[in-house]
Amino acid sequence: MAVYRRSRRHRFFLVLLALTSVTVLTLDYRGAGDGTLESVRQTARDTFAPVQAAADWVVSPVAGFFGSVGDFGDLRSDNARLRRQLDEARADAIRGADADRERRGLLQLQGLDYAGGLDSVPARVVSTAPTNFQLTITIDRGSDARLDVGMPVVTSAGLVGRIIQVSSARSTVLLITDPQSNVGVRLASSGEPGVARGGGTRNPMPLDLITTEVPVDVGEPVVTSGLERGLFPAQIPVGRVRSTSAPPGALQKEILLDPRVDLVRLEFVRILLWKPAG
Amino acid sequence: MRSDPRLRLPIMLIVALLVQTTVLARMRVWGVMPDFMLLLAVAAGLTAGAAQGAALGFASGMLIDLFLPTPLGLSALVFTLVGYGVGVANTGVLRSAWYIPVLVAGGASMAGVVLYALIGSVLGEQMIDGHLATIALVVGVSNAVLAPVAVRFVAWSLGSSKGRRSSKAGAARST
Repeated sequence: MAVYRRSRRHRFFLVLLALTSVTVLTLDYRGAGDGTLESVRQTARDTFAPVQAAADWVVSPVAGFFGSVGDFGDLRSDNARLRRQLDEARADAIRGADADRERRGLLQLQGLDYAGGLDSVPARVVSTAPTNFQLTITIDRGSDARLDVGMPVVTSAGLVGRIIQVSSARSTVLLITDPQSNVGVRLASSGEPGVARGGGTRNPMPLDLITTEVPVDVGEPVVTSGLERGLFPAQIPVGRVRSTSAPPGALQKEILLDPRVDLVRLEFVRILLWKPAG
Repeated sequence: MRSDPRLRLPIMLIVALLVQTTVLARMRVWGVMPDFMLLLAVAAGLTAGAAQGAALGFASGMLIDLFLPTPLGLSALVFTLVGYGVGVANTGVLRSAWYIPVLVAGGASMAGVVLYALIGSVLGEQMIDGHLATIALVVGVSNAVLAPVAVRFVAWSLGSSKGRRSSKAGAARST
């Protein structure tokens, strides 16, 4: 009898807690309560930020060691690859400088925003978000530094993602490799527009082209298109075409991109002070 | 010096949150990190039974939810259910062989990950894809490894002697 009553009380307790969770979930999901929940969240983040920064400072050498053990074998091949890429990049830069000037003029004519001409704010990557499901990072700047939801995040190599949450001292950035991310892009050679989707961490990004009959070369660079109502300004490098294949019977080629930025090992990023229209 | 038992629970939660967001967030295997906050719920279910499992799961879930981009309350709901489930199934297994809690922690963590993805998908988050199996596996294994630490940690926070005794008493009563 005692056991029965005890387990019934436990079950009541479980239902109570589960219902509370569901209520909070629903409120948050519907954006109800005039952003009360969101402000609770922001306060919690800002309060915890200095503590987290201190702890991070203490543990980062240790954690860095653990992190680098797995990477050590990659370093040698990384080095060779980087040298080769540097050569390519130097050549590209010379060609690019001229094309860039031309492009800027054209974009200006079309009234599109050009990423190179925007103000930006530097930020340090504090941590990856403590989740296994969304590919996000936390950066150490927030609304105090004029950041806002929707702003693009880049490094000198290219596109990282966009801000999805902001508190006064911290922001969360959704990486372009997250399956929920879509980036409007353009093939650099043909100018053909398409959409690059996130394929998950360390995976290539699938690219859907609007038209199917376009020649696509492996290694071809892909940049943001900045088309009207796009989430990103034009001309931010996104990646390079890794492979193309045409499965039998498919209407579209399967195109995969390698992101330009090493999204697994980010340390510093820049946030472009630009918001998508609408 | 003995700390005030009432302070132990909040201290434990905050330390766990720090460990999760700083140390563990960097120790990723195939991009996946251990889920220590979920493990707390499992450990509470193991050491102190269903009610404590549900309560600690709710607390740790709500706390980590504050720092996640997913809807607020999702982890709280999942961790509550997992903590309760472990408590119902396994009150008192701490007295059995050492590997039983480890296996339970691994299994329950995997179940928690899958449940999280399921409920998340219902809410429109894109969580079920090929990567889910990897996430469940890595979280399961790494949480199993961390289980002995978590069990001691939780037992301490719930007042170790009291936690142990009540779990034994619970086991004795339910058998």
